[in-house]
Amino acid sequence: MLKTVWEWTLVLLIFGLSAAFGNWLGYDILPWLAIPGMLILIAISIVGLVLEKVLPGNIPAVGYIGILGILISLPWTPGSEFVVEWTNKISILALATPILAYAGISIGSNWADFRKLGFRSIIVALLVFLGTFIGSALIAEVILRWQGII
Amino acid sequence: MKNARLKDIIKDWRLHAIVFILVCITEAVGQFSFKVGPGVILLLPMVYAFIIGLILFFTPLVSQKTAKNAEPLIVLGVTLLIAKIGVIIGPQIEALIEAGPALLLQEVGNLGTIFLALPVAVWLGFKRESIGMTHSIAREPNVGLIVNKFGFDSPEGRGVMAVYIFGTVFGAVFLGLISGILATTTPLHPLSFAMASGVGSGSMMAAASGSLVAAFPTMENEIIAFAGASNLISLSTGLYMSIFIGLPLTEKLYALMIKRRERRDTEKQGGAPNA
Repeated sequence: MLKTVWEWTLVLLIFGLSAAFGNWLGYDILPWLAIPGMLILIAISIVGLVLEKVLPGNIPAVGYIGILGILISLPWTPGSEFVVEWTNKISILALATPILAYAGISIGSNWADFRKLGFRSIIVALLVFLGTFIGSALIAEVILRWQGII
Repeated sequence: MKNARLKDIIKDWRLHAIVFILVCITEAVGQFSFKVGPGVILLLPMVYAFIIGLILFFTPLVSQKTAKNAEPLIVLGVTLLIAKIGVIIGPQIEALIEAGPALLLQEVGNLGTIFLALPVAVWLGFKRESIGMTHSIAREPNVGLIVNKFGFDSPEGRGVMAVYIFGTVFGAVFLGLISGILATTTPLHPLSFAMASGVGSGSMMAAASGSLVAAFPTMENEIIAFAGASNLISLSTGLYMSIFIGLPLTEKLYALMIKRRERRDTEKQGGAPNA
């Protein structure tokens, strides 16, 4: 377990280094100013990954990680002002760029499978957006009428 | 993610160096956006990084093994993204509570994608890809859930990535277009569409509510307030909606549809040859 945790940490540090430099070049935050925030995010992830392994139930690590992030940044949590201040220095887009760089490289290896998705996937994607939007609007209409707002 | 493999992956310096350089170049170039009607087409550094990464695979720089090594980095990298979303939500908890349970209930509407898109995806011949594609609107938390649960190199993973990438580039422009059209042609109230604009993505919410404001300028403040609150709730509850309702529901419906389809296929085969 300890060895796995150490390896997760190393992987996340390598990832964080790329993200911190992207954060500098794209969003003008010097890399060393991003270090505390990045370490906090890495710590949240590690704890979430460990919880997935040790807790019973079928909740994936990302479920724990989201809750942990919320808990330590609540206004009532002692020290949350530092968590918020430091993590604010890291743009969410700067974290997404290395993910998609790795994803592009990785997709190459099963490009044949991916290409099969092709044009049909655009139709499905459009319906995904349309379905979410119309579904939400219909339920909102019912609720707003019921509340007497419209 | 086996331990022995993770150690090799950490030592794959070529892979990490390529990504590092890719990130530096694409972030330095920065983002571009084109106005199309009421929305924008967004070209973000992450989109260039994805495309260049894919192209690099077909050069001698990236071997098959290096490409395989990239997968755990995606799964672990996404956890940082979810952690970041968590610390964005925490400080806004009071606004969320104020927005109230009605807005929370409205999140159920986001499941609309399953009923509209899943049958079409199965009909178009998609297999388990359709689960990744249609269980949600495929924003970051949902991508995180799918790669966490099924892995990146899985049909579900490919499905969610296809919709995620499509949505990143074209989501804002598409929602901007349809929100204006639907709000002016259907009997539903503009505020209902304002609430629907909050799908859990800032750029999509801005585009969708932007065209509503353009169509109903007198309601500007209400539209923006409703859209913003709904977006925040979508962002914070979307992951848990998917874990507990969206994904299990999609898997159930998918199993049902596939079973029906198989039964129909066997009936066809069993029937008269010229039937």
